[in-house]
Amino acid sequence: MDRRKFLGLGLTAVVLAPMTASALDFRKEKPKAWTAHKVDEAVKALYGDVKLEESDKISLKTPKIASNGGAVPITIKSDIEAKTVTLLQDVNPESAVATWNVPDGGMVNFSLKIKMKGSGKVVAVIEGKDGKFYTASKSMEVALGGCEG
Amino acid sequence: MGKMKVKAKAKNGVIKAKIQAKHDMLTYDQAKKKKVDANFITQMVGKVGDKVVFEVSTSQFLSKDPLFKFEFKADGFKDGDKLEMTWTDLSGATESASKKIKGIKK
Repeated sequence: MDRRKFLGLGLTAVVLAPMTASALDFRKEKPKAWTAHKVDEAVKALYGDVKLEESDKISLKTPKIASNGGAVPITIKSDIEAKTVTLLQDVNPESAVATWNVPDGGMVNFSLKIKMKGSGKVVAVIEGKDGKFYTASKSMEVALGGCEG
Repeated sequence: MGKMKVKAKAKNGVIKAKIQAKHDMLTYDQAKKKKVDANFITQMVGKVGDKVVFEVSTSQFLSKDPLFKFEFKADGFKDGDKLEMTWTDLSGATESASKKIKGIKK
């Protein structure tokens, strides 16, 4: 199915669906965020024109050198009261990797494994409950690219 | 057993969860090479009862058979409660698995 059409369908469905569930599907709500190539374009598509504050309250753990670009372990941890957390990087064809919606009682301590096409920067953006946006980034090297592309 | 493993344990008021999903997570580039449609998990939701405790929208850039770890406060949950994880992928398929949360005092 044509990807654009698929995304369009998803968007319509969300508008009609009741907003009671707190499980937001960012993929449906902000399709442009997922096709943006550069990190700041994706951030803009997700959050609008917001000012990102570099914060040392975000612990972004990445290996310094990843031996396998197909499975790079990343951990984002923070005490900031967050609404959403987004992970991006600047080496893959599209920069957005994942967006977590932090529910009440949720904590920011997420780990996952991602694919990185090559060495580059990984960026975490936290949308705080205070309305501010915090960010932290880490440069890392990848020995073997993970997208087979 | 299903395509997903769920582990959740409560300790000191915090429930730590570890989820191992089984999915090829084919990126558009990889799919083109294999001449198939790209398909990867696009969303994963975790609930205990009807309370959402985890939600992530994901891209093609997660590793094959992705591993997720997260934690949430144990307030309000009781012994016997189960963590139910559901993922949805690009093709619209979904997969669910649930497991009783260990360690919550009776």
